[in-house]
Amino acid sequence: MPLGTLDRTPPPFFKQGATPLHKLIFFSCLSVLIMFCDVRWQITQPLRSLFSLALAPIQWMAQQPGFLSARVEVFLQDKGDAQEEAAVFKKQLLDQSLQASQVDQLQLENKQLRSLLELKDRVQTTGQVAQVIYDAADPFTRKVILDKGSISGIHVSSPVMDEAGVVGQVTRVYPLISEATLIIDKNHSIPVLNNRTGARGVAFGESGGAPLLELRYMAANADIQENDILSTSGVDGVYPPGVPVAKVIKIERSADSMFARILCEPLGRAQGVRHLMVLEPVGKDLPARPEMEVVKTPSRSGGR
Amino acid sequence: MIMPRGQQLLLPAKPLFIVMSLFMALLMNMLENVGLLGNAAWMPDFLALVLLFWSVHQPQRVGIGWAFILGLACDVHQVSFLGQHALAYTVQGFLATLIHRRLLWFSVPSQALQVLPLFAISHAISMVLRMSLSGSLVGWSMFFAPMIEACLWPIVSVILLAPQRRAPDPDENRPL
Repeated sequence: MPLGTLDRTPPPFFKQGATPLHKLIFFSCLSVLIMFCDVRWQITQPLRSLFSLALAPIQWMAQQPGFLSARVEVFLQDKGDAQEEAAVFKKQLLDQSLQASQVDQLQLENKQLRSLLELKDRVQTTGQVAQVIYDAADPFTRKVILDKGSISGIHVSSPVMDEAGVVGQVTRVYPLISEATLIIDKNHSIPVLNNRTGARGVAFGESGGAPLLELRYMAANADIQENDILSTSGVDGVYPPGVPVAKVIKIERSADSMFARILCEPLGRAQGVRHLMVLEPVGKDLPARPEMEVVKTPSRSGGR
Repeated sequence: MIMPRGQQLLLPAKPLFIVMSLFMALLMNMLENVGLLGNAAWMPDFLALVLLFWSVHQPQRVGIGWAFILGLACDVHQVSFLGQHALAYTVQGFLATLIHRRLLWFSVPSQALQVLPLFAISHAISMVLRMSLSGSLVGWSMFFAPMIEACLWPIVSVILLAPQRRAPDPDENRPL
C-alpha cells in the first residue's frame, strides 16, 4: 500500500485544545455580545465593513452569471420589442419635455416670489445613479444592496428613488456597497402628504409582509379616498418634498377602531428594478433643530 | 480506526479541498439570492450543510470556530443582525461534534434523517432571535429549508467524499 493512503497523523493526546462545550459557551457568548452591540448600540459597523470588504470578491463572482444572462437577453432580444420599447420611451420624453421646458421659467418665478416674500430658497437636491446588486437574503426584512458606497460619496439616510417615486432610504454604508431599506419594510416609516387634500400623515410598511404601505393614525372619518396620491411632505429632513410615494388602494373603516386601516401601493417599483437614484439627504441644508427645552420638574426633596 | 464493515477505506481529506468546498458553499448561498430567488425563506442554506458535513467527517479540522467566522460572514452578506447566523452555526457545530462518532455508522439516508433536527434547530435559533429582537415573522415556508437541506445530505456526501474515494495508486487504467 503506498504512503499517503491513510491519514497518518495521530490524534493529539495531550494538546487537545478546548473542549467542544467550552468552545460552544465561548462562541455563543461572543455572538450574543456582538448581536447586543449591533442591535442596541449600533457600534459594530467597523466589523461589518471588514467582513464586507472581504466578501466583495465573492459577491462580485456571484453577480457574474446574472450579468451574463442579462447580456445574452439583450443579444437575443427581438428587434420588434426593442422598437416598441423605444417608441414608449419617446412618447414619455415628449410628455416630459413640455413640463421640463416650463420648469426653468417656473423656478425663476418661484425664486423671485420667494425673495419677494423673504422666504428661504427651496432646498435643491443632487443625486447619483446606483445599481441594485441584490435583494438582501434576510427574509425578515425588505432591503436591497446598491453598488455604490462611502467611496462614491453615499451617506447614511440618503433617499433612494426611481423614475416613478420614492423607493427607500440608505440605512447602512460600507466602503464599496450600501444597503437601502425599502419603504415597504415593516420598520420603515415615511411622512406623507395627501396631494388631494393636503392632509399630512405617516406611512409605514405593511406589517403582514405584503409589498404595501399602511397609512396609520388617520381618523376613521378623515377625508381620504381610494386612488389618492400620497407624496413626501418634506417635514422629516430626509426626503425632498413633493416626490410621489404611494397610491391609496383600500380603506377599511371599522366601528370598533378610532383609526381607519388604509392600505397604499408604492409607486416606486420596489422589486425587480435595476437602477435607482440616490439623492443627497435634504437634512444637511436644513437649519438645525431648536434646542428642546428641558422642563424642570419641581424637586421633591425635603418632604419627610 | 474502527469502521463499519464493508466500507471503503478513505484517503485523507485535503485541507485545500475543504476550504474550497466551504468557499463554494458560500458562493452558492450568494448565487441563490443574487441571481435566482431573491429572499425566499425556504431556500436551503448550503453553507450550513457543508459546514455540518465537515464538522462530522473532519471534526479536528472544521470546528466551532470556523462555524462562527463563516456565520458572521453570512450575517454581513444577508444584512441580518450581526451574530445571528454565527450563533446558529456555533450551536449546530457543537451538536455535530456530539453526534459525529455515532452518525457515520449509519447508512447515508438514515444519516440524513438524523441531521434533520440539527438543521431545524439552527433555523429555529435564527427565527427565535428575529422574533425576540425585531418581532418579525415569516411564513411557514421557512420550515421547508431544513427539510431540503436534509434531502441534500446524500448528494453532498457523494460529492464531497469523491476525492477521498479515489484509488490510492492511480495508473493508466484507473487515472482517477
